[in-house]
Amino acid sequence: MSDLNVAIVIKLEPDFSEGNVSYNPDGTLNRAETKNTLGPHSAIAAHAAFYSKVMYDAKISIGTMGPPIADSSLQMAQRICDAEELHLYSDRIFAGADTLATAEVLKTGIEKMQGKIDIVFAGHRASDGETGQTGPQTAWKLGFTFLGNVIDYKVDLKERTVIAKRMVSLQGFNDIVEEIEAPLPVFISVDPAYKANFNTVLQRLSLEKYKKEAKIRSDNYKHYLKVFNAQQLGVDLKFVGLLGSPTIVYKVERIPKGKATRQAEILDGSNQEDLRKAVAKMKEALSAMVIK
Amino acid sequence: MEKYDVAIIGGGSAGLAALKQLSNLGKQAVLLEAGNKIGSKNVSGGILYSKRPKKGHVHNVEDVYGDIFLSEAPFERKITKYILHSTSKDKVYSIDLTAAHEYESNFGYSVLMNKLNGWFAEQAAESAQRFGGGIISGVRVNSIEWDEKNDRTIIRTDELEEFEVKAIIAADGVNSEVAQISGARPKFTPEQLYQGVKVVVKLPEDVINTRFNLIPDEGIAHLFAGDITLNHIGGGFLYTNKDTLSIGAVYHFDSLLANPTEPYTLVNSLLKNPMISEFIKDEVPTRGKIDKNLPQEEQIRNRFAITKLIKSWRELREAYLSQKGKNDLLKSGKYQSVDEIKEQLDSIHNQLTQKYDVSFVTDYVEVEYSAKLVPDGKRCRMLKPYNKNILFIGDAAGRGVFVGPRIEGLNIGIDDAFRAAEAVARALDKNNFDPNYLGEYYATSVDESPYTRDMKQIDKDYLKIFLDATKDIPSDIISTRYGAVLKLMSSDTFRSVAVKFANILGYERLLPMVESEDTYVKVPIEIAKRLGKTIQPTYTPSIPSIADRVAKLNFNDDNNSHIKVTNPQSEFLKKIITLCPTKCYSLENQQVMLQHEGCIECGTCSQETDWKHPRGEKGVVYQYG
Repeated sequence: MSDLNVAIVIKLEPDFSEGNVSYNPDGTLNRAETKNTLGPHSAIAAHAAFYSKVMYDAKISIGTMGPPIADSSLQMAQRICDAEELHLYSDRIFAGADTLATAEVLKTGIEKMQGKIDIVFAGHRASDGETGQTGPQTAWKLGFTFLGNVIDYKVDLKERTVIAKRMVSLQGFNDIVEEIEAPLPVFISVDPAYKANFNTVLQRLSLEKYKKEAKIRSDNYKHYLKVFNAQQLGVDLKFVGLLGSPTIVYKVERIPKGKATRQAEILDGSNQEDLRKAVAKMKEALSAMVIK
Repeated sequence: MEKYDVAIIGGGSAGLAALKQLSNLGKQAVLLEAGNKIGSKNVSGGILYSKRPKKGHVHNVEDVYGDIFLSEAPFERKITKYILHSTSKDKVYSIDLTAAHEYESNFGYSVLMNKLNGWFAEQAAESAQRFGGGIISGVRVNSIEWDEKNDRTIIRTDELEEFEVKAIIAADGVNSEVAQISGARPKFTPEQLYQGVKVVVKLPEDVINTRFNLIPDEGIAHLFAGDITLNHIGGGFLYTNKDTLSIGAVYHFDSLLANPTEPYTLVNSLLKNPMISEFIKDEVPTRGKIDKNLPQEEQIRNRFAITKLIKSWRELREAYLSQKGKNDLLKSGKYQSVDEIKEQLDSIHNQLTQKYDVSFVTDYVEVEYSAKLVPDGKRCRMLKPYNKNILFIGDAAGRGVFVGPRIEGLNIGIDDAFRAAEAVARALDKNNFDPNYLGEYYATSVDESPYTRDMKQIDKDYLKIFLDATKDIPSDIISTRYGAVLKLMSSDTFRSVAVKFANILGYERLLPMVESEDTYVKVPIEIAKRLGKTIQPTYTPSIPSIADRVAKLNFNDDNNSHIKVTNPQSEFLKKIITLCPTKCYSLENQQVMLQHEGCIECGTCSQETDWKHPRGEKGVVYQYG
């Protein structure tokens, strides 16, 4: 039995890369023609969880809410983190959920995972929603301490605490790193700047071992997959789907273009004279910069 | 400090074979690779041979990996034809050297190193894991300390905590840093090296089969000499892979220094040859001009739509023009019949031409540009391929057999790896890593290898096969000096005596005569002019600029340069401005300047720079190799 049980909540998102994304003539996203993929921030969360596996031999469960095809995102995440358990919460009733209703499903799911969960990892935000609220709301529902913008963490298995580094802005300064210790269980939202460090030969060898296991497991991901509908999950229908969503989107507007405060001069790159001008301007700008 | 039995430095085909073989012998070894992924730094021509010499024994790839290599490894095609072409403008004269290719050979497969080394790594890592070893990528060794007092060797890297080992196998390639760190040998000199440049060209599998007249999974190797060399000593090659072609130019580095020509100009000279341009041609979608009057968002949407359609067309066509691809598509249930695939393909084609102003033209598709230095084993093999408790293998030890059309490197690295693994296992059993016990044993074993013999001597049987293949060429075509020698050489008795005499005299002394402008340039041009067939080109390939080629490569950029120019006035470096395959050098105010972004780590400039491999994971990431 492992000393640490971790969970990841992930999301299947549209693949916005060129060559995969399709738009309707009116400029909206053509969902049917656009490929889906594991959200980039979800992937980072999976990497963060994998650190627990390599360092502490943690057991990993992954949960997601979505249509049946969202099982592909579970497979992709398992490929990253070598999870033992995959949960898909899928029911037509869940459709139209806002972040709060989603958090209710995820919370209930996490409570059904194997072992008592010590850490839940979530991405920073989704690439198609961008509100970044599902994580904190799930943490609140679970009653877990919420740690946001985490760029690094360690677990003290004896003391049952987590020591995390958070990227915060403080008094107008960005990129301040705060170190914080919190008792388990915690909910960690992983900052995009997260990068795992494995710096001994032994850690790296064990990393490779788990990576290989992850590949084998994800090739047979169905073996690890459990699909829950609302009834199987045992959620209160009042709190999920459209019914459980207090958010009402009454209008979607295009983001207005910001007025440029800087003035631009267009120079022709093939014109020698213009290039000279550009270099002169750069020199001017550089000399104005004071290097401390 | 963590302790391991053996460290292997470098995850190319030789290092991986050493790891696999040590694991076969039940020994623990950790392989360190600087690239972010195994294979990402490897470049080869390349053909991987398995040989069976009449005298002596070599260790082949299948001896290391087992029969599973033949059934599962992702090699490209089994080379069953080997042709040498003499070129002069649009004239080509071809000589069939298949018999020379098959000489003492079990097989020769065309390979792409990224894919193949990935497979080797899987096999080796799985075996190594059983003994507490494995592969660690993204790690660059920066120093090795021999702590004599405590009788231990400590390895330091940029990325990991230091650790202790008992023995080291250095497989870090032609620009071996381990050789420099340990003082095992000086850097190779230009006379000891070739510079190779290669492009990988995409071509559907069925098109390759038809165009080169091949049955599936069989391949052909074409070699080129004559005017394509632009008067340098060396030549070109074209090997068929599964659904790509490897086309490259390999020249003696000293010959390039004597008369510097850009490496890409040399490879372009091949691509422009009508025989080759006809080999590589394909149907290529070309975008029309985007209508700038449309709203900007609309322009972007159109661009995205075109990208997506072209991508679908390419993928579908690639599958449609390959037996396996077609079967996979039918099996997936997406299509009911082959005709249906064709219909879909045509429909995308029509959509592109009619709706999006995309035209389909005859051109070629280049997917990767790469370069590497190749050690000429005849001139630079390490006579003592060890130092302290380090054994050097493959390119790091300067080993390769390059004799006229005989081009072998990969198999020699694997043979070395096998011998090094044996020597290290023996040392581990006796816990004796003294150079007299470990190093000498390995040196003797390598010296007994038939490959070493081939680096030292002319093989008269191979020579006979070569001469037989060229017997249709009238001897007066060749200058009187060579003509007379060739005529004499065709007599069995004379050849035996002559070769014996030459081998006594010393092979090295003959080389300048054999590897000369006459043999690689003048004679082939003359042959092509007099006997060649004319090939009419049907189009002009649009060859990408070097900037475009570099832009297509993947890099993990490093702000710190791994190369430092120590003498900006160096005459050598002034030539490197021309000879750097990716144009990293320039001259400013009579000073040679380096811009390391875009460097593909070939080591061409290493002779007179402070040259290191990039830090772990940094630098070029080849997709084909």
